[in-house]
Amino acid sequence: MCTGRIDPALVAEAFRKGLDGLLVVGCYFGDCHYITGNHQAKAKLDMTRRLLKHIGMNEDRLAFRQCSSGEGSVFVDIVTEFDTKLRSLGPLGGEGDRVRAPELFKKLEAAQAVLASEKMRWVIGKRTPFLESGNMYGEIFTEHEFNRAIDMIIVEEMEVQEILARLSQGSQSIKALAGDLAIPSERVFRYITALKRKGMVALDKIAGRSPMFQLVPQEV
Amino acid sequence: MDDKSVLIVGGGIDGVREALEKATGGEQVTIVEKFPTLGAERIPRDRLIKPGDAFVNPDLDAVRHNDRIRILTYSDIKQVKKDNGKIRARILKHSLRVDNTKCNDCKACIKVCPVNMFDDFDEGFTFRTAVDYFNPATGEYNIFKEDQPVCQRSCPVNLDIRTYVGQIADGKYLDSLATIRDRLPLPGSIGRVCPHPCETACNRQYLDEPISICFLKRFVADIELDKGIEPVYQTPEKKLPEKIAIIGAGPAGLTCAYHLARKGYRHVTIHEALSVPGGYLWVGIPEYRLPKELLKREVDLIAGMGIDIRYNSRVGRDISFDDLRKDNDAVFIGAGCHRGLKLRVPGEDEYEGKGIVDCVTFLREQALGKPFDVKGKLIVIGGGNAAIDSARVGWRMGFDEVYILYRRTKKEMPANPWEIDAAEHEGVILQYLAAPVEILGRNGRVSGMKCIKMELGEPDASGRRRPVPIQGSEYVIDAQTIVPAISQGTDLDFLGKDHGLAVNRWNTFDIDEETAATNVPGVFAGGDVVTGPDIAIRAVAAGKKAADGIHTYLRSK
Repeated sequence: MCTGRIDPALVAEAFRKGLDGLLVVGCYFGDCHYITGNHQAKAKLDMTRRLLKHIGMNEDRLAFRQCSSGEGSVFVDIVTEFDTKLRSLGPLGGEGDRVRAPELFKKLEAAQAVLASEKMRWVIGKRTPFLESGNMYGEIFTEHEFNRAIDMIIVEEMEVQEILARLSQGSQSIKALAGDLAIPSERVFRYITALKRKGMVALDKIAGRSPMFQLVPQEV
Repeated sequence: MDDKSVLIVGGGIDGVREALEKATGGEQVTIVEKFPTLGAERIPRDRLIKPGDAFVNPDLDAVRHNDRIRILTYSDIKQVKKDNGKIRARILKHSLRVDNTKCNDCKACIKVCPVNMFDDFDEGFTFRTAVDYFNPATGEYNIFKEDQPVCQRSCPVNLDIRTYVGQIADGKYLDSLATIRDRLPLPGSIGRVCPHPCETACNRQYLDEPISICFLKRFVADIELDKGIEPVYQTPEKKLPEKIAIIGAGPAGLTCAYHLARKGYRHVTIHEALSVPGGYLWVGIPEYRLPKELLKREVDLIAGMGIDIRYNSRVGRDISFDDLRKDNDAVFIGAGCHRGLKLRVPGEDEYEGKGIVDCVTFLREQALGKPFDVKGKLIVIGGGNAAIDSARVGWRMGFDEVYILYRRTKKEMPANPWEIDAAEHEGVILQYLAAPVEILGRNGRVSGMKCIKMELGEPDASGRRRPVPIQGSEYVIDAQTIVPAISQGTDLDFLGKDHGLAVNRWNTFDIDEETAATNVPGVFAGGDVVTGPDIAIRAVAAGKKAADGIHTYLRSK
């Protein structure tokens, strides 16, 4: 299988199920049978590493390396190096990670939802054209700019997915959401209004003085 | 149009009502609204689905179907001018960034749009996405796009700062340099001397400190130098035959020549009065701020595009302005401000050249390596960058003491603050709130100066507090050399008597702001000779504008 076909959501799922490390070994740039498969893989995995770092996992647990099928010794070196690194980090959610076990797995669940969402897929799919040929208006972006945008999207999407995960358990008020997720309530309010405009969240009822919001089922 | 027409700015509820009233009164009405929708319509999608539920201002329908009302949505007013008893407005109508003929209203874009931005519709109370602004009347979507970034907008040449700084962050140094050179042919020189209005405007300063936009330019230019890469400025294959003469090889003239060569003009001649290129960059800015070798290299690169730079060719002495006009299809005047203004105090004319040297001459003679009688005390009068440069150059020449005399305080000084600090650090003594009254001399040479103390009064037209002399506070200081650096003016004697060019009361040219054309067809002007003494990057901008103007003029001839 081509490394370009590795879905970031699968990566997050693997970690969520307790995997301690994931090494993706692809072809050299320029050797790709599908021309840009390994470039796609690198873009996707780079973005996934950024997300995993954001949620508090050690991003070295996910690595992208390159070697050709004829280079046995290089492959051995790569695997040995990764193995040593992983042994020094220890099990997932332990000493090697910023966020510890039970919370990390909860975050990984939200991360999987982020990586599986349309938004992340669309954005990362646009990376190569944006950096090389530009958008519809011929505006070419620098890598720095794109990565900065990605970082911002990761932060926002994580918070939005956490909100949606809470709302899937029943309607909630903004105050309760803000308290649960430790996000400032004006930010939660902005996310909720944005989601409302997109038709993903709707007003359920008003309990006392607080409006309660609920999830709107989406057609897939 | 009828003789009576009304422009209504803002198509909100009030604007719409007013438009209807005026139109009913028989006037022609134009509504200009900055959002793509009229009448503050922006209803959430979920409410539009039920038609009866939607709030629609009944006036809107009437406005849309009124023959007397012209609606310009998504437009900005760029300029309002009085014109012969009428008011004339320039309006920029933006085009929508979504091709709505291809849009099938699937709403997927709104769901996946990754840009969460503060909604200017409700003053940033909520978030919205960049693709938004559903227009209920037409069913149109639009992607909101900000205007130029604040740094690019504040840069006179509108350098694409965001891109080149981003490319440096990516490590693509030479690409970044190419981005800069697309508009600015002198990155190394400007990167050293620019007072960077872009950094003053930079939004990053509200977080910690502005991005060092100016020095980043110098950084990439130095990388090229360091690696020993010799770039070649490309000119197009197709050459244009017209001849163009440029007066002055300063930043304006060089930039104008550069952009003309890039458009394909192969007969571009620069007439430079001095034996060196660069104008003020060479003879005004001292070596310690801008190494001559580096400037020479950048000028050589421009000359390498096939531009003929004739040194020691002073227009009015070696070649007449009329001949230039006759021999060429277009002339660009970028002669600069090379005459120091006078103090207008007694004794000044008497000792001219005998201890009194204006800052332009002082700096020029130092830059050209002419000998100077260095002894005793030097007093520089003024508070601009030219004054600081003169003082710091004087300090390097070896005067015993160097003073700067300024009539206001340090806070009001127009010089760059970092230059003032550097001068103080080097040992230049700054005396604030003092002004010259009389130049004193002995045996045909300057021996000192009588000054008067000042105090700050009410703010004047420039917003700075006006200095007021304190009566009876005169004092005398000894000095062997006095350098007035109070401002510079243009020297237009080279034009001859009957040039016919419109010159205003500041002795600078009146030009068309769009094309840099003067009132005489085929003659263009830009740089300090139009603006008065100003920063280099603004002269570069004027050179570029003039190149575009000359191109348009010659192609439409």
